[in-house]
Amino acid sequence: MGAVVGTLTMQTRQRRPSRDKIDDELELSIVCHRPEGLEQLQAQTNFSKKELQVLYRGFKNECPCGAVNEETFKQIYSQFFPHGDASTYAHYLFNAFDSSQNGSIKFEDFVTALSILLRGTTTEKLQWTFNLYDINSDGYISKEEMTDIVKAIYDMMGRYTYPALKTDTLKQHVDAFFRKMDKNRDGVVTLDEFILSCQEDENIMRSLQLFENVI
Amino acid sequence: MAAGVAAWLPFARAAAIGWMPVASTPMPPPPREKRRGQDGFIILNVSGTKFQTWLNTLERYPDTLLGSTERDFFYHEETNEYFFDRDPDIFRHILNFYRTGKLHYPRHECISAYDEELAFFGIIPEIIGDCCYEEYKDRRRENAERIQDDEENENNKDLVPPDMSFRESMWRAFENPHTSTMALVFYYVTGFFIAVSVMANVVETVPCGKAQDRVKEISCGERYAPAFFCLDTACVMIFTVEYLLRLIAAPSRYNFVKSVMSIIDVVAIMPYYIGLVMTENEDVSGAFVTLRVFRVFRIFKFSRHSAGLRILGYTLKSCASELGFLLFSLTMAIIIFATVMFYAEKGSSASKFTSIPAAFWYTIVTMTTLGYGDMVPKTIMGKIFGSICSLSGVLVIALPVPVIVSNFSRIYHQSQRAEKRRAQKKTRLARIHAAKSGGANAYLQYKCNGMLAHVEEEVTASKEAGQALVCKSNPTFETEHHHLLHCLEKTTNHEFVDEQTYETSCMEVSMMKPSMSRSSSLSSSPHGLSSCCSRRNKRKSFNVPNSNMSGGRRGSIQELSTIQIRERPMSNSRSSLNAKFEETVPLNSEEPSYITAAVISMSTSPVTTPEGGDSASSPDFLQSNIVRVSAL
Repeated sequence: MGAVVGTLTMQTRQRRPSRDKIDDELELSIVCHRPEGLEQLQAQTNFSKKELQVLYRGFKNECPCGAVNEETFKQIYSQFFPHGDASTYAHYLFNAFDSSQNGSIKFEDFVTALSILLRGTTTEKLQWTFNLYDINSDGYISKEEMTDIVKAIYDMMGRYTYPALKTDTLKQHVDAFFRKMDKNRDGVVTLDEFILSCQEDENIMRSLQLFENVI
Repeated sequence: MAAGVAAWLPFARAAAIGWMPVASTPMPPPPREKRRGQDGFIILNVSGTKFQTWLNTLERYPDTLLGSTERDFFYHEETNEYFFDRDPDIFRHILNFYRTGKLHYPRHECISAYDEELAFFGIIPEIIGDCCYEEYKDRRRENAERIQDDEENENNKDLVPPDMSFRESMWRAFENPHTSTMALVFYYVTGFFIAVSVMANVVETVPCGKAQDRVKEISCGERYAPAFFCLDTACVMIFTVEYLLRLIAAPSRYNFVKSVMSIIDVVAIMPYYIGLVMTENEDVSGAFVTLRVFRVFRIFKFSRHSAGLRILGYTLKSCASELGFLLFSLTMAIIIFATVMFYAEKGSSASKFTSIPAAFWYTIVTMTTLGYGDMVPKTIMGKIFGSICSLSGVLVIALPVPVIVSNFSRIYHQSQRAEKRRAQKKTRLARIHAAKSGGANAYLQYKCNGMLAHVEEEVTASKEAGQALVCKSNPTFETEHHHLLHCLEKTTNHEFVDEQTYETSCMEVSMMKPSMSRSSSLSSSPHGLSSCCSRRNKRKSFNVPNSNMSGGRRGSIQELSTIQIRERPMSNSRSSLNAKFEETVPLNSEEPSYITAAVISMSTSPVTTPEGGDSASSPDFLQSNIVRVSAL
């Protein structure tokens, strides 16, 4: 009987070091990130002090540790699109927001991107959009990249749409896009082609101004 | 939708700029900004304790008291604050819910007081966070059971409602003997006879002295055979009558026949009847004697009288797998040791271990430490293995039994909790799904009634009072969210519909319904649609033709998407119907070809719009209301 007890206690002693490691890991993950000062951010972006305050309060409420990681970002974004699956598009958005590409969006990244989107010039907005589409950041939007983006957008619609999604809807959409944007028909869209084509399109220009009053 | 992420809506809308270059159709105009002024403090005075928070915080949950205009009823002008005459301690938790998005249940609070506060402030308890939800539900259930027990005790003393049928009252008497004296008498009589019958079975077999012409003793049963037969007959008659009465009174006879107790009843009385039927054939009477064994099942009839027996039965049933495992491991050990003992004792002469199955008996007796001594090993190897067998018997039997006992206790409580949690989870998920689909449906509904009104608002200043669409004041958040979803629709040139509409449209893709008389110029879309909202603004004669889907209201749901359809194909559509339509929605000339007019069968309801549109529009609104309700 003593031997049994002895073997049992030996086993527990061995297990303890691994448990300590888990505790350590837990502690490490709760690290806060503080943004730069209000004045600096005000200088860097086109927001007023009050707007920055409101933005930060909302941001801090959702992410008390000061930075959003991709999972949380996807979850938050998916809340707005209950019909379909917004995770792919959220992934691309995350990469577009995360300018430093370190896997988390800090408040500065957040506010910088919002500043461009809401208060920037048309060219800046189009440039931001180009960066969003250019998934591999090589300066060109290829057909595959565009197909991925359009597919991500269609995924957000979900299954139940009218009219029902057909197999070549995506392809048609991407082809239409390329017909419009790709001026020299070389199969890729460069930044200049993109900006030029968008500036020629009245609808796009108008829609870019749509969200001015969001904040 | 979790309003906690309402703070991120501006970001989601800004990010929608990413869709713009991809979109092939123009975007809808944004909702008008309802500037509510600066985001200021709001002071909530709850029975003297002042709470202060941002106005935005409260606005996060617009369907609660504090987040909606309902709080205006509590506004106290002299002090410029909102006064609530409620418990401030519980209010603290409620306010924290607005701040953090998580509702917690304080353990020291009374559950009914907490529930009342939640109900007052319009918060559903289902959103209590996971950390506190189980506790909350447990306390609530306890409370409910306590109240229910009190009520039951009271009810039992009440008089039986006089309108119960004889059958129902009989069943009630059987199930609850305490309801009436007759039932009690019946209960005790049957109990008595069960005892008598069992005692008779037992005493029957006791040897009762020598008979005159026999050598050996005979049992009492043979000696006083007629007496015992009479007793047996009486008992069986009573049991039969009882069974038949129960069968008649049972609300569901099929369920009653299936139940365990009725099977026990049947098994208890069967041997007697089989005995009556069978002849005095010598061969058969042997089998008949065996049947008499089943008479002992009468003792199980006591389980109706004893709750403890029922609990034991339930215990064994629920512990079956553990017992099964014990049996299995025992069997393994028995086979192993029996084999070993057999081969060990093979050499010795006059060994009782004649075969392995014969050795089973030894192994079982030894392992359970009974040790009858009728079989003992004689060889040294046999003795060694025999001692190992008895030692391991202790371990094999003694170890699992406490484990089984504690396992049973743990599993029993755990399964009860798991059942609870599963049931709770199902309802919670159902409610969350309802809220989510409510969110998804909210948009579809909004498309139907809200959005048009919005566009209309911007063009015309006034809506006609009597015909105004019921457009409840959507909170800004909802409006903006719907605008965002609308932009997505425009980007992809597809619309959100719900499942039924989708299936309908899929099913009827091949069906081409003939367009009705007035719409000869129309090319009909595949499925019939019932009307959605019609705007009866005199200035804009946008008449949504009312149409009834063939086969009933099956298609009543695709109201959701009809508006879109109607808007777009203005250029190539229903000429006569929309002759005066001058909608200023910008139309993209390159329409995808799938969208055509969607008018099938017109309703024959009278035309009521002054524009003289062909379709009946006035009932449209009501109908669309009804449709909406039925759809959503």
